[in-house]
Amino acid sequence: MTIASTTQQICFLVLSATLVFGSLGVVLLPNIVYSAFLLGGVFLSVAGLYLMLNASFVAAAQVLVYVGAVNVLILFAIMLVNKQETLAAIPGLLLRRILSGAVCAGLFLLLVRVAFTTDWALPGPTPIGDEATIRIGEHLFSDYLLPFELASVLLLMAMIGAIVLARRDVFSSDVITGEPVDQGLIEKSRTPLLLDTNDQKRPMLENTP
Amino acid sequence: MFLPGVLPPAVADSVSTAAFSPGLSLQLHAGAIAPEAAVLIALLTCLLVDLAGEKAASRWVPPLCYAGLGTALVLLALQWDGPQDPAFLGSFLADNLAIAFRAVVAASTLLSLLLSWRYVEQSGTPVGEYAAILLAATLGAMFLCGATDLVSIFISLETLSVSSYLLSGYMKRDARSSEAALKYLLVGSAAAAVFLYGASLLYGLTGGGTSLTEVASALQTSASPVTALALVFVLATVAFKIAAVPFHQWTPDVYEGSPTPVVAFLSVGSKAAGFALALRLLVGCFESFDAQWKLLFTVLAVLSMVLGNVVALAQTSMKRMLAYSSIGQAGFVMIGLVCGTEDGFAAMVLYMAAYLFMNLGAFACIILFSLRTGSDRIADYAGLYQKDPLITLGLSLCLLSLGGIPPMLGFFGKIYLFFAGWADHQYLLVVVGLVTSVVSIYYYISVIKMMVVKEPQEASDVVKAYPEISWNLAGLQPLRAALITCLLATAVGGVLSNPLFTWANSTVAGTPILMHAIG
Repeated sequence: MTIASTTQQICFLVLSATLVFGSLGVVLLPNIVYSAFLLGGVFLSVAGLYLMLNASFVAAAQVLVYVGAVNVLILFAIMLVNKQETLAAIPGLLLRRILSGAVCAGLFLLLVRVAFTTDWALPGPTPIGDEATIRIGEHLFSDYLLPFELASVLLLMAMIGAIVLARRDVFSSDVITGEPVDQGLIEKSRTPLLLDTNDQKRPMLENTP
Repeated sequence: MFLPGVLPPAVADSVSTAAFSPGLSLQLHAGAIAPEAAVLIALLTCLLVDLAGEKAASRWVPPLCYAGLGTALVLLALQWDGPQDPAFLGSFLADNLAIAFRAVVAASTLLSLLLSWRYVEQSGTPVGEYAAILLAATLGAMFLCGATDLVSIFISLETLSVSSYLLSGYMKRDARSSEAALKYLLVGSAAAAVFLYGASLLYGLTGGGTSLTEVASALQTSASPVTALALVFVLATVAFKIAAVPFHQWTPDVYEGSPTPVVAFLSVGSKAAGFALALRLLVGCFESFDAQWKLLFTVLAVLSMVLGNVVALAQTSMKRMLAYSSIGQAGFVMIGLVCGTEDGFAAMVLYMAAYLFMNLGAFACIILFSLRTGSDRIADYAGLYQKDPLITLGLSLCLLSLGGIPPMLGFFGKIYLFFAGWADHQYLLVVVGLVTSVVSIYYYISVIKMMVVKEPQEASDVVKAYPEISWNLAGLQPLRAALITCLLATAVGGVLSNPLFTWANSTVAGTPILMHAIG
């Protein structure tokens, strides 16, 4: 075992441990600020794994996009919505946790079993190192041209949608008739009248199967 | 999705030579996406026109959308039976299956937009952005129908989904709308993640290729557990998009909380794209796992038909009832998918086209009713025939057609599906389909009974205070045009349905993957 492979092994173990425990912390910690910071750690260790796979461009993109943008945005959102609110206790929380834990453990076992029973084509193609960025560029402008261009429509729409949902102006009147409007559904929610006794009195959005 | 440096050298070489050879523009076959280009141009012009203010937008956006979608439909008709070269180096294929489903999607958007204008104006939300987001959803759905590459499929699926989330939350001052958008976003993102997981497994199996032909040939040879897992993951995404039980939990809440014209699009356009994706992935790729996915889809179809139609009985809100009925209708269409015969596929295409007209006709009526009264409760329709014969007639015909009563278009679609199922010995599916059709007729008829049979003094308060019928306001004329188109297609289309049958059969005949599956 050479020094290089030992170093690689150690790096892999450290990164994996950060990744696994960090993501467990993101899900399990009650304080949302800790979760958000741990999420940054998780993203960074994923970037480290990409680096170990010789994918330096993807690693850089991961740091820029996820740590630099997504995680900072999450932290901003948490800081701006600084509202202390005690949530009502959910009935049967322990049972729910045990059930969801069992489902997750079952899924995990299934995935592990599948991963070990498959005969993967190993070792894969040889890495091309720093030329990977050029190769990605070639792909984006050749066989992935259509999805690449479509992604621009997707981003444009996401941006416009975010502006529409977030902006404050409210037309106080219908553009055509001038009647007052409220930017709500036309079907108004009404409390059921006493007359309709055969009506079930139910909340507006209930969880039916 | 694709890690650099993990591509096999052969693929990489072919890519780099293709990328820099002079004949690139010829190889792209960009003409295949001309209809989508028309929609995209309409989208961008809508956004530009919207800069001129809300008044200008409400004047100019509707004709722009009609022009874009009309051009797209004409271009689609011109592509019919055309050359089937893979466009964009294997990302897109304009075979007849893609053209038929893209036409259904474009037509459903056109009709939903016709229904939308008055609704959007009356709720006080911006028209230009609404049209732009709906056109983006159409663009995603149309690309999804023809995408032949896992990356293209994922991006178009996301374009459709993100636009749908935005549209369902468009009435932002209404808590129900926001709740619908949030639920749809959370469940939809989970489904997208599951699809990515399945797609990454398929990518691993092909040894670094994302095109569906490579996936299909890799699946021919490997029968490892990974393939079964990938199948389940991909199938879950498809089932989510077509709202098959048990992946339907989002449907009732999203349908109830979203603006009604958006629901009209989601129930037809989005579903049609989902079925096109199902045909391309399951029939095209998972051919060697025929027995497995057919079994899974049989279960999904039986559950959808039973649960959708039985739970619809108990609904008091019209939108919620149509949500459950659409789950049941998707179950009927799945019969054709499970058959896997020529008749089965043709019946699917035919039923989607029929469903387009009858479901949008029903939505046109409930939108018109809620515009006039502000209600969508079934009890409020009592005694409507006295005040508004057009809505009564339209809703009755469309609901009868959805239930499958003989002279209507829906009857012929349904009988063709059941015939195809029976011929392929899918007795369980056909019997369940027949029984649940009878159940569905019960709740459809009870709405009609509510409208027609009640005496004037038994009419609901809403109907008693019914406003004078007028079509003067901008946006009501398009609504009436859409309503009458759907009504005519539903009522007369059944008797004159021979061209539709020919069309559905030539769709199957002009699609290599389907012909290959039939054998």
